[in-house]
Amino acid sequence: MPELSSGQRVGRESGRFLRCCGLTTTPPSPCVQPCCRPLCYEQSERRLHKSLQMKMEEMSLSGLDNSKLEAIAQEIYADLVEDSCLGFCFEVHRAVKCGYFFLDDTDPDSMKDFEIVDQPGLDIFGQVFNQWKSKECVCPNCSRSIAASRFAPHLEKCLGMGRNSSRIANRRIANSNNMNKSESDQEDNDDINDNDWSYGSEKKAKKRKSDKLWYLPFQNPNSPRRSKSLKHKNGELSNSDPFKYNNSTGISYETLGPEELRSLLTTQCGVISEHTKKMCTRSLRCPQHTDEQRRTVRIYFLGPSAVLPEVESSLDNDSFDMTDSQALISRLQWDGSSDLSPSDSGSSKTSENQGWGLGTNSSESRKTKKKKSHLSLVGTASGLGSNKKKKPKPPAPPTPSIYDDIN
Amino acid sequence: IVVSKMNKDAQMRAAINQKLIETGERERLKELLRAKLIECGWKDQLKAHCKEVIKEKGLEHVTVDDLVAEITPKGRALVPDSVKKELLQRIRTFLAQHASL
Repeated sequence: MPELSSGQRVGRESGRFLRCCGLTTTPPSPCVQPCCRPLCYEQSERRLHKSLQMKMEEMSLSGLDNSKLEAIAQEIYADLVEDSCLGFCFEVHRAVKCGYFFLDDTDPDSMKDFEIVDQPGLDIFGQVFNQWKSKECVCPNCSRSIAASRFAPHLEKCLGMGRNSSRIANRRIANSNNMNKSESDQEDNDDINDNDWSYGSEKKAKKRKSDKLWYLPFQNPNSPRRSKSLKHKNGELSNSDPFKYNNSTGISYETLGPEELRSLLTTQCGVISEHTKKMCTRSLRCPQHTDEQRRTVRIYFLGPSAVLPEVESSLDNDSFDMTDSQALISRLQWDGSSDLSPSDSGSSKTSENQGWGLGTNSSESRKTKKKKSHLSLVGTASGLGSNKKKKPKPPAPPTPSIYDDIN
Repeated sequence: IVVSKMNKDAQMRAAINQKLIETGERERLKELLRAKLIECGWKDQLKAHCKEVIKEKGLEHVTVDDLVAEITPKGRALVPDSVKKELLQRIRTFLAQHASL
């Protein structure tokens, strides 16, 4: 017997007419079996209900009045808002009871202090943007005024405490061992390395204030960035002249001082290539260039009396107009002191010593004179070397001056 | 018949509500409403009003009923029109989508 939701049964047996008030919101399952015929009321009611339900199911909402739809929508909306309000009330009540409701209140004074600033040119805290760009700070070490953005690197060099400073210092120590031992210029190099100077220029710092300007825009030769490219360079020539090297196998002769030129030309081919305008770094017997070319180059650089080093045995008579001893001394000194390649460092040391020894033996005065001129030459050479691009003509003017000095 | 008509409406509403909940639309609408109310400052306004009410009543004696009674009507009134319109729009869209129940 099917049971109605009301729990009352309608059966054939019962002769009574039971009121089946099964018409709840969820209508009862329809009675499959026909029940007591006389009692049609309930059944008809049920049937009506069923039909209505089915109708409702078929019915689409759009079929309803729009007003009904709108009313429903409004109701839903009202429900949602009420939910939100209630939720809010609960939150507030909890906050009150737990004691944290009034926590975000501050006194009016501090409210005013930290009020959001809304003026042009200022951020919300009232600070000026870009304030520190143009500021200059005074370095406590050297008492110079440095731009704020350059202050940190400057300080690193100035105090000698950064990574680069120790690198420079180590290199300097290593090279000073290789080069002149009698070099008595022992200034504090921290200051000199300040503005990212080239390596070779540290000996004659004071003279070349102007050079700082030239070198500043270029890469620091001692910075780590450089070290990678240096590894692939020719082994012949030294690592200590990084500023002369480009990423090619040739040398820009414009940047070389007479010292380095001479040393280069005695060891390398040196012929200037037409397309790249660089000197050939191959050996003196390189097959690409003829002896004539090499001769031309040497004449061009070293003056009309210069010849190929391999051809002549002694340069003194031809190169310089001076007495034999003087020439010999100077020649040895040039040879020895112009050594810039680590491969020759050992041999050059001895020759250097000999040169100096000879100098000492022959004349004291000349030694100091030579020394000074040598120094100045090295200085100028290196200084000119550091002017990579700005001064294309360094070799030419100083060459006559060398002659003058010695003569 | 009147009963059935009322029932019909009630049923319809019930069905719609059921649909709303089933599809998760009700939750979404609720979240949307909450977010919009915070955005437009409704919550802060109401909070300020709360503070006044509480100061009046005294911190210790505030009850939930008090709060609800005071705040709900104000809250309903304070909802900005734009929020109301948007929400109604979404509800209507939902109803239109789920035309056949």
